[in-house]
Amino acid sequence: MTETTAPIDAATASSGGRSERLPTKIYLYTSLTILAAIIIIPLVTTALGGFKTLGELRGNPFGLPSDWQWENYGGILFSQRYWLQMGNSLLIAGLTVFLTLAFSAMAAFAFAHVKFFGSGFLLNYFLIGLMFPAATAILPLFIRIRDLGLLDTYWGVVLPQVAFGLGMSILLFRNFFRNLPSELFDAAFVDGAGYIRFFWSITLPLSRPIIATVGIISFVGSWNSYILPLIMLNSESKYPWPLGIMVYRGEFSTDWQLILAFITLTILPTVIVFFAAQKHIIAGLTAGAVK
Amino acid sequence: MSQTSSISAPRALSARTPAIARRKSNRVRGTWPVLVLFLPPALLLFTVFVILPMGEAAWYSFYNWNGYGLPTQWIGTKNYELIFNNGAFRQALINNGLIILVSIVIQIPLALWIATMVTHRIKGAVMFRLLFFLPYVLADVAAGMIWRFVYDGQFGLVAGIFNAMGMSAPFWLADRQVAFYAVLGVIVWKYFGFHMMLFVAGLQSIDKSVLEAADIDGATGWQKFYRVTLPMLGSTVRLSVFFAVIGSLQLFDMIMPLTGGGPSNATQTLVTFLYSFGVMRMQVGFGSAVGVVLFVICVVLAFSYKRIFMKND
Amino acid sequence: MAGLELRNIAKSYGSVSVIEGINLSVEDGEFVALVGPSGCGKSTILRMVAGLEDITGGDILIGDNVVNELTPRERNIAMVFQSYALYPHMSVYKNMAFNLELSGKPKDEIDRRVREAARMLELEPLLDRKPNQLSGGQRQRVAMGRAVVRDPAVFLFDEPLSNLDAKLRVQMRSEIKTLHRKVGVTSIYVTHDQVEAMTLADRVVVLNHGVIQQEGSPMELYRRPANLFVAGFIGSPAMNFFDAVIEGGTARTANGLTFPFVSDQQLVDGHKVVVGIRPEHFLTGGALAGEVTFVEPTGGQTFVTLDLAGHQTMVLVSSEQDIDTGASLSVSAPIERTYIFDAEAGNRLSRN
Ligand SMILES: Nc1ncnc2c1ncn2[C@@H]1O[C@H](COP(=O)(O)OP(=O)(O)OP(=O)(O)O)[C@@H](O)[C@H]1O
Ligand SMILES: [Mg+2]
Repeated sequence: MTETTAPIDAATASSGGRSERLPTKIYLYTSLTILAAIIIIPLVTTALGGFKTLGELRGNPFGLPSDWQWENYGGILFSQRYWLQMGNSLLIAGLTVFLTLAFSAMAAFAFAHVKFFGSGFLLNYFLIGLMFPAATAILPLFIRIRDLGLLDTYWGVVLPQVAFGLGMSILLFRNFFRNLPSELFDAAFVDGAGYIRFFWSITLPLSRPIIATVGIISFVGSWNSYILPLIMLNSESKYPWPLGIMVYRGEFSTDWQLILAFITLTILPTVIVFFAAQKHIIAGLTAGAVK
Repeated sequence: MSQTSSISAPRALSARTPAIARRKSNRVRGTWPVLVLFLPPALLLFTVFVILPMGEAAWYSFYNWNGYGLPTQWIGTKNYELIFNNGAFRQALINNGLIILVSIVIQIPLALWIATMVTHRIKGAVMFRLLFFLPYVLADVAAGMIWRFVYDGQFGLVAGIFNAMGMSAPFWLADRQVAFYAVLGVIVWKYFGFHMMLFVAGLQSIDKSVLEAADIDGATGWQKFYRVTLPMLGSTVRLSVFFAVIGSLQLFDMIMPLTGGGPSNATQTLVTFLYSFGVMRMQVGFGSAVGVVLFVICVVLAFSYKRIFMKND
Repeated sequence: MAGLELRNIAKSYGSVSVIEGINLSVEDGEFVALVGPSGCGKSTILRMVAGLEDITGGDILIGDNVVNELTPRERNIAMVFQSYALYPHMSVYKNMAFNLELSGKPKDEIDRRVREAARMLELEPLLDRKPNQLSGGQRQRVAMGRAVVRDPAVFLFDEPLSNLDAKLRVQMRSEIKTLHRKVGVTSIYVTHDQVEAMTLADRVVVLNHGVIQQEGSPMELYRRPANLFVAGFIGSPAMNFFDAVIEGGTARTANGLTFPFVSDQQLVDGHKVVVGIRPEHFLTGGALAGEVTFVEPTGGQTFVTLDLAGHQTMVLVSSEQDIDTGASLSVSAPIERTYIFDAEAGNRLSRN
């Protein structure tokens, strides 16, 4: 898993060659359309359900609303809690991404370019982190955060998230750094640059692709994460959206139309960003697999 | 690792493997500032929040402790005995095993089949790929919540279908016998896109002319797939299985909104079990022991799988 | 075995036309080379013949049958790819046997034919190896073995030698020629290397921008290039060209060099032409004098770059003569080997 492979390029269709014959095409489009329907129907009915009344939801779960209930969505959009939760998620994810990038890039640089005693051992130490999920140590982690006085703070979520992301991020950064042309080092050192200088003015500017990859992995991970905030946060005003959604459901347990509207609004940013930046996101989220 | 000095390194060798052979030497003095500045932040964070908690989990697992003060009540391996005698835990183990089974037997073949379809030269292939990958990008919590609606026996889509057929709708998620199969369906829905993407990448990396050679050799579509494509995708398949196994062991976020592990523990996974029996009840010792068991399972599975199946990749 | 015919073949990608109305007929057992610069559409033509690429217009016939709609497997062709396209997970033996297996041949026949082909290509000791355990030349031979073993109607080669080093290329060239003599299958060979085309083929087809420029035997193309493109493309080192105008039956450059030539046509004064003379056709001694600016001895012959009134001209002289940079040299162009081309249309106007 240390070889670098080209990132997955999902946005490029194959070109040239023979075009498919009609029976093949019929088979492909039929199967793909059925599969696409299975994917999309739950999503679309969720979004539409947010426009219905509870009664209509019951009688007509699939169709368009007969009477569009804009106030379901409006109420949420004008509520403070939706924006607060989105803000919390954004803040936590932002901090996580920033610290993950900074710490793992620096450590990976040391592993890739500086020969020091025990570097192989130390790298393997970090790679242990790849092997188990945060859940395994969740109770001691909770006690540690509590004893550090970080319970119910953003840092109590951010720091463990960064720590558990370090293994993969260091690995990705290190592989990338090692594949930069070594002539660059020679040239820079001849020019009199030291390691730190070199890191700052040569390595980092050349590392935009891998920064994007690691950034996306850690952002998506943090944006979607549930178990750490669930355990570390107590006050609702600090909840990120996955927690918020659960609370909301608890409050409006049978008002499905409101819950559906709330779900739709919380996943909407993800869907929009995904389609806007699909190339980078797919390459990023599968990078851990192909590298 | 042996120290190779750049002066004595043979030219030919360093030309062939420039990155590795030459980088082992330190051509610059003053490596310590970079080490002292660059390593400690990561090292500290990792040690404090990953390694120490794991070690502490092993330690706490021998105590009966509610998390306050210091753990003093040593009970030996009692926690582990309790775990393995716990019916819900055994159910969780079985469920995790089932998830792995379904991933390998249903999800991965499905993903492979779809990957072969969306790499055909047809209009809209890229759009289909994106669509199939979309569930993977959504948060587990949101996906679980959406499917809770889908499965809802009163307002959901399943209810709609049953009502349309004139039958009374079932509450699948509340049915001990059915709930976990419903959850498995959601798992496949949510994760097959990731595996599909891996296979798309694998298929794209196959030299197109090899497949054309097979065309010319007279292979039919199925023969081409079975005798040329599939053998060349071997490493991707093994990788895909690896991720399915590791992923299934971590499953938690999606179960919570769907069933929370119920009804009567029918849909527990290892992590939901840890949460409901360790965290919720503040049984630090017991919960830590579950964490240790989970850790051992993860490490053993990951190591042995890599040893056995991925040694050549 | 069968002949092959292309009738008005055309190919376009969307609105971009790559091949425009190619007509070509290849006789049974003939070896035809398609040459042209990179991107001129050689591979596209080959892939259309193989059935790997749709055709936009025209017909392809193998033997007497129109094969436009047939899949590659139905066309009974064999193809050698530039990248070899060996199946990486199969042994050499399996690679060669694959097609026979697919067509359901009995095991002992497969074995006999694979071993026969392996003997012919000296692959016998390698039969159990995987492709990644072979050298470039060996892979190349396996790729050919895979084609030979199945006794196809037509052989297609797409730049099969371009991944080999120069020495191996010469060796494989002669092996391909020997092979063709032995099995005598109708072959189309695509290359951008005109030397390869000339040495291998019975007939060479020169292609540019998807249009056939000229076809004929190698020497025909060399002696009587139909136009400027063929004249410049065939022959190494390349022909020298001088812009000139007709003046009293000779061609005269702006710098005052004059070239007499033979033509069947009456050319009017002021007609813009291009004069072409091959480096090897210059004779030493004569009216064209200039300073030697560059000397490249290669052993048997010496390439001399001569400054003819400001025009850098390549001249080939025997290495008996010692020539130094800066010396002056006078040469002449034999009248029957002076080519005159229309400057606009590019077609040849001189008789040769
Ligand atoms: N899928 C495609 N879409 C659009 N244009 C294409 C496609 N494939 C090939 N072409 C164009 O068709 C032309 C001919 O390509 P072809 O591969 O036949 O060239 P070639 O003569 O074999 O060149 P080379 O010697 O470099 O292999 C080129 O200009 C190329 O850009
Ligand atoms: Mg080509």
